[in-house]
Amino acid sequence: MNIINKFFLWLLLFPSGLYEKMGVSVPHLRSILRIKLIMDDRRPNSIQQTKQKKQKKPISFATLGTMLFTGILGCVFLSAFAVGKDYSTKLTIYFSFYIFVLASTLISDFTSVLIDVRDNMIILPKPINDKTFVLARLLHIVIHISKLILPMALPGMIMMGILEGITGVIPFILLILCATLFTIFLINALYIFILKITTPEKFKTVISYFQIFFAIFFYAGYQLVPKLFSKAALENYSITTFSWAGIVPPYWFAASWQYLKTFDLGSPLVLYFVLSIALPILSIWIVIKYFAPSFNQKLSMISGSEGEATPVKADKKGLISTTSVFITSMANRFTEKGTERMSFLHTWKMTGRSRDFKMKVYPSMGYLVVYIVLIFMRNRDISLDAIRDQSGKGKFLFLGVIYFCSFVLIMALQQLTFSDKYKAAWIYYITPIKSPGKLLSGALKATIVKFYLPIVVITSAAAIIIVGPAVIPNLLLGIFNLFLITTIRAYMSMRDLPFSQQQSASVKGSNFIRGLFIMMIMGILAAMHYFVYSYFIVILILCVLSIIASWLMMDALKNKTWDSLVTKVYEG
Amino acid sequence: MNPIISLTNVYKSYGAKQVLKGINLSIYPGQVIGYIGPNGAGKSTTVKILCGLISDYEGEVIIDGINLKDDPITIKSKIGYVPELAELYDVLTPAEFLGFMGELYNMPKELADDRILKMLTAFGLEANMHQRMDTFSKGMRQKVLIISGLLHNPDIIILDEPLSGLDANSVIIVKDLISKLAKEGKTIFYCSHMMDVVEKVSDRIVLINEGTVLADGSFEELQQQQGNQSLEKIFAHMTAKESLSDAADQLMSAFGK
Repeated sequence: MNIINKFFLWLLLFPSGLYEKMGVSVPHLRSILRIKLIMDDRRPNSIQQTKQKKQKKPISFATLGTMLFTGILGCVFLSAFAVGKDYSTKLTIYFSFYIFVLASTLISDFTSVLIDVRDNMIILPKPINDKTFVLARLLHIVIHISKLILPMALPGMIMMGILEGITGVIPFILLILCATLFTIFLINALYIFILKITTPEKFKTVISYFQIFFAIFFYAGYQLVPKLFSKAALENYSITTFSWAGIVPPYWFAASWQYLKTFDLGSPLVLYFVLSIALPILSIWIVIKYFAPSFNQKLSMISGSEGEATPVKADKKGLISTTSVFITSMANRFTEKGTERMSFLHTWKMTGRSRDFKMKVYPSMGYLVVYIVLIFMRNRDISLDAIRDQSGKGKFLFLGVIYFCSFVLIMALQQLTFSDKYKAAWIYYITPIKSPGKLLSGALKATIVKFYLPIVVITSAAAIIIVGPAVIPNLLLGIFNLFLITTIRAYMSMRDLPFSQQQSASVKGSNFIRGLFIMMIMGILAAMHYFVYSYFIVILILCVLSIIASWLMMDALKNKTWDSLVTKVYEG
Repeated sequence: MNPIISLTNVYKSYGAKQVLKGINLSIYPGQVIGYIGPNGAGKSTTVKILCGLISDYEGEVIIDGINLKDDPITIKSKIGYVPELAELYDVLTPAEFLGFMGELYNMPKELADDRILKMLTAFGLEANMHQRMDTFSKGMRQKVLIISGLLHNPDIIILDEPLSGLDANSVIIVKDLISKLAKEGKTIFYCSHMMDVVEKVSDRIVLINEGTVLADGSFEELQQQQGNQSLEKIFAHMTAKESLSDAADQLMSAFGK
C-alpha cells in the first residue's frame, strides 16, 4: 500500500470510537478498507488499461498514476480563468468543466470499482454486520472520490489563492465539495434512469455509449469553443448578460462563491448560495433514502446470474434468424457464397455487438465529424457560391471532405483483427477453410458497407444538393479512389484473421510505416484529382482505372493464403 | 439429538416466480448431505438462504438452535461457504486473500497465518502463496476457495460444486477431506451435478425439483424406492420430463434427411 492510501485509511479510521458507538466493528472495517485499497492500487486505470496487456509486469501504484493524470486534467481546467471578464463567468466555466469531467470519470468507476458485485459472494457470507459493510462501502467511495477530486481541484485552489488570497480559497473549497456531491447525485440519477429504460444486461452497453458521447463532446468542446470566438470576445464575455444563466447549476456555485467572497448579506446572490448548499444535501438525502436500497440489488443483477436469458421467438421455419433482411440482401449482393458470405455476416454482427470494438471505433468517428465541422469553420470566408462554383478553395474543400472520410474506414479496419475474445478464433483453424483470404475480403466488405456506405450516401447527397448534378463525375472518382485506398490499406494491414488477435497498444514499427505509405497514396490520389478536376474525360478514364485497380486489390486480398498470414496456427 | 440445520416451510420467490415452494429439512451433525437437482430447481437459492445472503424468505430456518432471522452474524461465523464459480478478488495473492478472510472471521492473526500456510502447503500451493491469483488456473483458484471456506474451522460447511476445475488427484484429496470432516462431527452440505461423486460422498441425498423436495434419504433407501439403479438413473427418472434416450435419438436423427 502506498503512502496516500495509508494516509486516507488513517484519516477515515480516526473517528473509530464513534463508529464503534454506531455498532460498527472497526477491525472488520479496517480489513475491508485495507484490502479494497490494495486492490485499487493494482487495478489498471484508463490510461494503463491498454498498456497492461503487453507488459507482463503486474500493475501496482495505479493510484499514483491516476492522481497524476487527474492533476494534469485539473490544470487544463485553469483555462477557465482566462475566459470572461468577471468571476461569475470564469467560475461557471470552471465548475462546468469540473462537474463534467468528474461525472465522466465516475460513470464507469461506479460499476467497476465502487460497487464490486463479488462482494456479495465473498464478504456477505462472513459474520459481518450490515452497518460495517455499508460504512466500509461508503468510506471506500469517499476515499476513491477524494483521490479524484483532490488533484483535480488542487490547481484551481492554487490559482484562486494567487488571485484572491485565502478569502477566495475557503469558499472555493466549500463549493467544490458541494459540486462533488451534486455530481454524485447526477451519476446516481443517471444510473437509475438507465436501469429504468433498459435491462441490466444492456446496462454496460448503455454506459459505454455515454462514455463515447462524453469523449466526443469533450473533444468537440476543446476544438471548437476557442475557434468559435475571438480572444477579445472571450475575455469580454460575461455570462451574467444571459438571463438563462440562473438555471444552470454551475452558475449557482459561481454566484455563491461571489456571495461568500463579498459577504454582502443582503445581496440577491443569496438565493444561489442557498441553492448550492441545499441542492447537494437534498440530492444526497434522495440518494440515500430512495436510490440506495434498490440500487445494490439492481447492480448485482448487472453481472449476476439473476437475469435469465429470454428465448428469442423462432420464425415459422423453426429456425431463429437474428440476421435482418437488409443484412442478408447486402451479403448476397456483395459477397460470394460460402466463406466470404459467412465472414461478412460474422463481421457485421461482431462489430455491432462487441462493446470493445464500439468503444475504440465510435469515438474516432465522432472526432472525424468534429474535424469536418472544423474544416468548414476555418474556411468561413468561403461562401456557398464558391463551393458551388467548384473553383479554388471550394474545390479544395469538397475534395478535403471526401478524402477525409476514408479515415473512418481506416479506424474501423485497424480494429477489425482485434477482439477481447480473440481465443474464439479457433473456429477458423478447426474448420476446413482453404482460402483464408475470403475471410478477410468478407470482413472488409462488411466494414465498407456498414461504416462507409452511410457516409458516402450522406456526403453525396449533400454535395449534389449544394453543388448540383455537375459534381457527380468528381464525386464518383472520389468515392472510387476511396475504395482503392481502402483495399490497398486492407491488403497491407489485414495480415491476420478478423477478431483473432489480442489488443495491444504498442503499434509495431512496420505498421506505422504502412500507415505513412497509405497516407502518401491518399495524398497523391487527392492531388491528382485536384489537378484534373475540370477535365471531364480524364475523370471518366480515372474512374474506370480506379475501379479496375480496386477490383484487382480486392481479388488479391481474397487470394491470400494461410502462408501470407502472420498467425498461421492457433495461438489461443 | 437436535438437528443442526432445520428448514420449515421455506418459501422464496423472485417477483412472480416462486423458486422454493415449501422446503422442509432437518439435518443432523456429522451428516454429509448431497443436495441435488436439475438447473433452476432452487439449489442455489437454498444455499444462499443458509449463508444469509437472502433474508427475505418465508418460513423458518434454525441453525444450531438460533433462528437465522434473529442472529445471522453468529450463524455466519459457524458456516464455511465455498461458492460455485471462482468468485474471488484475483488481483490479490492467496496469502492476502485468505488473511482477509481470517480477519473477517475474527481469527487471531497468528492462528490464521499458521493455518493458511499449512493448508496451502497441503494443496501444493505454498510456492504460489505470494503470487497474484489472476494468473491462476481454475483448479488453483478452487483450492484457494476451499481453504477460504475451511479456514475458521466451521461446524457447517456448504460446498457448491467444489470439485470443478480440480485435477484427479485433488479430487481424491477433497473427497477424503469431506469424509474426515464428517467424522469430526462437521455437517456438510454438498451441492453438485456430478451424481457419481454425490453417490459416493454423501450419506444422505436430498433431491429437489421445481422448489420442492422430491426424495430424501440415503442412497440405499433411494435405491429401494426407485429400483436398484445408479443415482444418475434415479435422478433422470425423477426429474426428466421426457425420456432422455429419446433426446439422444432425436440428436442422431438430425443427421438423416
